[in-house]
Amino acid sequence: MNSIAQKYTHTNNNRILNEITSARDGLASTHQLELAPSIQLPPISQPTDFLRAHTDDATNPDCKIKIAHGTTTLAFRFQGGIIVAVDSRATQGNWIASQTVKKVIEINPFLLGTMAGGAADCQYWETWLGTQCRLHELREKERISVAAASKILGNLVYEYKGMGLSMGTMVCGYTKKEGPTIYYVDSDGTRLKGDLFCVGSGQTFAYGVLDSEYKWDLTIEEALYLGKRSILAATHRDAYSGGSVNLFHVAEEGWVFHGNHNVGDIFYDIKEKEKSFNNVDG
Amino acid sequence: MNSTVASEYSSEVHSTPIEHRFNPYSDNGGTVLGIAGEDFAVLAGDTRQVVGYSINSRYEPKIFNVGDDIVMTANGFAADGAALIDKFKNQLKWYKFDHNGKKLSIKSAARYIQHLLYGKRFFPYYVSTLIAGLDEEGKGAVYSYDPVGSYEKEQCRAGGAAASLIMPFLDNQVNFKNQYVPGTDGKEKRPLRYLSLDEVLQLVKDAFSSATERHIQVGDGLEIFIVTKEGVRVEYYPLKRD
Amino acid sequence: MSDPSSINGGTAVAMVGKDCIAIASDLRLGNQSLGLANNFEKVFQFGDKTFMALTGLASDVITLKETFRLKNNLYNLREEREIEPQTLANLVSSTLYEKRFGPYFIGPIVAGLDSKTSKPFICGFDLIGCIDFAKDFIVSGTATDQLYGMCESLYEPNLEPEDLFETISQALLNAVDRDALSGWGAVVYIVTKDKVVKRTLRTRQD
Repeated sequence: MNSIAQKYTHTNNNRILNEITSARDGLASTHQLELAPSIQLPPISQPTDFLRAHTDDATNPDCKIKIAHGTTTLAFRFQGGIIVAVDSRATQGNWIASQTVKKVIEINPFLLGTMAGGAADCQYWETWLGTQCRLHELREKERISVAAASKILGNLVYEYKGMGLSMGTMVCGYTKKEGPTIYYVDSDGTRLKGDLFCVGSGQTFAYGVLDSEYKWDLTIEEALYLGKRSILAATHRDAYSGGSVNLFHVAEEGWVFHGNHNVGDIFYDIKEKEKSFNNVDG
Repeated sequence: MNSTVASEYSSEVHSTPIEHRFNPYSDNGGTVLGIAGEDFAVLAGDTRQVVGYSINSRYEPKIFNVGDDIVMTANGFAADGAALIDKFKNQLKWYKFDHNGKKLSIKSAARYIQHLLYGKRFFPYYVSTLIAGLDEEGKGAVYSYDPVGSYEKEQCRAGGAAASLIMPFLDNQVNFKNQYVPGTDGKEKRPLRYLSLDEVLQLVKDAFSSATERHIQVGDGLEIFIVTKEGVRVEYYPLKRD
Repeated sequence: MSDPSSINGGTAVAMVGKDCIAIASDLRLGNQSLGLANNFEKVFQFGDKTFMALTGLASDVITLKETFRLKNNLYNLREEREIEPQTLANLVSSTLYEKRFGPYFIGPIVAGLDSKTSKPFICGFDLIGCIDFAKDFIVSGTATDQLYGMCESLYEPNLEPEDLFETISQALLNAVDRDALSGWGAVVYIVTKDKVVKRTLRTRQD
C-alpha cells in the first residue's frame, strides 16, 4: 500500500520532466562504450527454451532463425611455432550462406582465435577478448599470456553456460614464458592445453590426414602444407566445410598470414602433384 | 470456430496436448540485394510486404537512407527490421550531437550494428541485415549480417526470402564463378573486374524479375538505392503484381 | 534433418532448345554431411532420344530406375518400338500414383525428342506423379531454389545445342555451388535429332 501511495504522490509530480530524462537516459547512456556488455533476454520464464525453439536447427528444423554452423578448423604446435588452418564456408541448413567467411579472428598481433559453431558468438566474444587483452596490457604493462587470455574467454562462456552459446575455439599465441601455446575453449566451458586440435563438423577428416603426417620436427614449409592439406581433405568429404583455406603461422614475432587458397583451384593442383584423390576424375 | 461445427471429429482426442508458447515472430517475406562497385554501391529490395499468403502492402519501403551516405535494410520480420533501423538512426543522431557532427564511417557503422544485433543474442531480431555505402578509400562497400550479428564485408549479397534464387546468379554474374576464358579448355578463369553502374542496375533488375517469377513473396515494385560520392539516389521500377 | 528427400542430396535439370533438349545432373551421393560417392549419375536413358532424371532418396532412385528399365523393356517387346517421351511421362505418373499413400521420395524429370516429329518434350513430377508440363525448363533436387533462380535468369527460348549446353551447365554449376548436398561433379546430355552428346563437367570438389 505504501509503495502505491508513494508512486502516486511523488514521482508523478513532474511527469513531462521524468519522461524527458528517462528518454534521454535510455538513448544517451548506451552510446557510451560499456565494458560489460548487456544482453537483452526474452520476457518469459524460460528464456533458454525460447531460444532453442527459435534457433536450434537440430531440435526444430523449421525454426525461423537459422544460425550459421559447420566448419573445419585446426591448429597444431611444432618445432617452428604454431600452424592455424581453417576453411571458409558458412551453412544454414543445406544452404551455403557464404564461401568467404574469416574463421580466424585476429585478437591482436600475437593472438589468434578460431571460429567453429555460432559465427556471431565467436566473432563477438573473440573481438571482446581482444579488448580485454589490451586492458590487461595497460594495467600490467606486459602482454597477456595465452593461458590468461584463454581463461578470460573460458570464464565468460562458463557464465553463459546453458544459455545456448555455441562455440568451439582455439586460442593460439606465442609468449616468451610459455612458448607457442594452444588452448581449446568451447561453450560447454571446457578449456584444454594441447599440441594438436581439430574442431568442427569436418574435424575427423582433418585429424585423419594430420595424425598420419604430423611430426614435431616439421619445417615451417612442411607444416603449412600439412595444415592446408588436412583442411582440404575435410572440405572434400564434409558437405558443411569448403570454400577456401586460410593459413596462419604463429611464431615469436607474432602471427603471419600465409594466404587464402581457393579449394576449387588447389584441389586439382594438389591432386595432380600428389597423385592423390584418386576417387576423383579429371 | 471448429467447435461449433457438429461433426464426428468433435470428440476426437488430440494425441498430444496443444502447445501454447510465446511466439513473437512472423515473416513478412520480401528480398533484398546489395552490390558494391568500384566507386558506388547499390542496395535494392522489392516493395511487397506479406503475411502468409496475404499481401499487406504493394509499396512498403524497407530500404532506408540512414544518414552519412549509408543505406540500410533489415529484411525478414518487418517489426524487428524497423526497430533495428530506428535504433541505429537514433544512435547515429546522438553520435553527431556528441561528436560535433562528425561523419560515421561505414566501417564503424558496421561494427556498431553488430553490437545492436548481438545485444539481443538471446531474443534475436529476426532479420537479415545489409548496409551499403562507400569506404574510406571511396570504394563501394556492402556489409551483411546474420540475425545475431556475425558480419562480413562483401562484393555482393542477397538476403531474405529469395536469397537462394538470387545468390547463385550473383556468384555467376558479379564474381564470374564457373566462367572461363573461351579456348583455354577451362584452365584460365575469366578475370575479375569491377562492373559499371549500368551493368549492375541491369543485373539487379534481372535478378528481381526472375525472383518475382518464381517466389510468391517477391514482387510489386523494385526500389534501388544508389550511393555514389555525390550522395544517395533512389530509383523505382515496377515488378509483376501477381 | 531426417527428411528422406534430402538425406542423400543431388540435383537435376532439363531445358528445351531449338529442336533439341538438354538434361543434366550432379554426381554426388552422400549420407547427410558425409560424401560417399562422386559417380552417382541421376540421368538415365530409355530408348534413343528419351531420358529420365531421378533425384531424391538414393534407394528409391535405384529402385525406380530398375522398375522403369523393366517396364521399358516390356514396352519394347510388346510394341516393337521405342518408347516416346510423352508415353514415358504417363508411365512415370501412373507408376508413382500407385504408391499414393506410401510414396517414393523422388523428383523425376522426363526429357526427350519425339521419334517422329523430333519435337522437344520435357516435364517434371511431384513425388506422387502429378505432371508439370513446361515449355522452358524443369528443375529437381536439393538445389531446386538455386536452380529456379539460375534458370529463370539465364534461360532464353530457341537456343542452339552449343548455347543450350553452356546455359544448362552454368545454371547447374552455379546452383550446386550454393548447395551443401549437391555437386562433386556433373553430367550433361545434349540431345538433337541426329545425335546424343554426353559431357562430364569438371567442378569444385568441396
